[in-house]
Amino acid sequence: MLAVDMAGETIRALNGSMVAYEGQMTFKRQGMTGGEGLRGAIRRRVAGESITLMEVTGHGTVYLAQEATEVTLVQLAGDTLFVESDSLLALDGQLQTGVQFIGLRGMGTGQGLATTKVEGYGTVALLSDGPAIALEVTPGVPLCVDPHAYVGHRGQLQQDIVTDVNWRTVMGQGSGESVQFRYQGHGLVYVQPAERGGMLEI
Amino acid sequence: MPGYSPINKKMIQVPVGPGSEVFSKRGAMLAYVGRVSFEPTATAGQGIGGALGRAMAGEHAPMMRVTGQGSVMFGHGGMEVSVVDLAGDQLFVEADRLLVHDASLQVGTMFMGEQGGLSGMVRGQVTGQGLFTSTLSGHGSVALLSHGGVIELPISPQRPVHVDPQAYVAHRGQVQNKLSTALGWRDMMGRGSGEAFQLELSGSGVVYVQASERKI
Repeated sequence: MLAVDMAGETIRALNGSMVAYEGQMTFKRQGMTGGEGLRGAIRRRVAGESITLMEVTGHGTVYLAQEATEVTLVQLAGDTLFVESDSLLALDGQLQTGVQFIGLRGMGTGQGLATTKVEGYGTVALLSDGPAIALEVTPGVPLCVDPHAYVGHRGQLQQDIVTDVNWRTVMGQGSGESVQFRYQGHGLVYVQPAERGGMLEI
Repeated sequence: MPGYSPINKKMIQVPVGPGSEVFSKRGAMLAYVGRVSFEPTATAGQGIGGALGRAMAGEHAPMMRVTGQGSVMFGHGGMEVSVVDLAGDQLFVEADRLLVHDASLQVGTMFMGEQGGLSGMVRGQVTGQGLFTSTLSGHGSVALLSHGGVIELPISPQRPVHVDPQAYVAHRGQVQNKLSTALGWRDMMGRGSGEAFQLELSGSGVVYVQASERKI
């Protein structure tokens, strides 16, 4: 659960995620464009990274939670965070969101072709099934993660897909770890201790 | 009487002995040590009149009476368990959220419509909580089920608390509740923020809120 103290600011949070509040609060669903402009809205629609956020404004404390999942706070200071749209709980009002196309890696992992990016100065609250850990990636030491356990990443990272599909996988005798994301460069990757269901059992 | 001791977030251990019997949700026993017997009870410690009231009210989570000498472990559905100790005050809770409570506590059913008349009935219908709620009073312990753990929010006359009806678990103290709506044209158009109905709790007491919007 996440408690946010507010003194007149605006935050954006997942629609319907308020569980309680004290003080004066108003909840307003964001428009179709979600502060990304018309082009942003169309990109988001095409990419299938739909998120429904609401604007919360007021004085007091608001408590947010969703399906009893764990909440991780990430501070952004001008850098960019890439996150799956269904792992986003809340973000500061002054942060910008957008859609980033990432190529074909999402096919089959059920994550779509695009991811959501958040940039600016402020705090982002991420949802994870179980507590998320941040794994550091340094040059020369690439990190591979299971696509279903991936929550988000930040920093100067190149992402590519590693497959280990052989005749055993085709015969349905795979190890269950045939496809991985590999990150190289310098940054942090957030991983959760549970695997989301994907389109394909890989 | 030794209290309830949590084993982990989702299981508790309850000592049972002569004079310290408990009522629990039927089927929620996981393991026990000693000579303990479980018998279903229709009245859940409320007597015939109370049982009739409960049946009419639809607050009929089946309970069982746990007697004997030993210690019993309880859990249900992988949900988290929180223990509330009562010292003469009254706890209001939905019947299906009760995991275990001491047999020494008085159990009753309260008509929520008493608080606020017609709007109380509307509140019950809208929030899916029913028109009746269970009350527990006296001295003893209660174990509540929640999805994702509960937080306690204090309520004071200057500081009313608003709660999502689906995340509400229980409350105690001198608390008035009413349904507040923030329905706008956006909700009518199906583009609401998902927070159109809130339970406003005012007075002085404590409300227990769970970290999820899932009912049992």
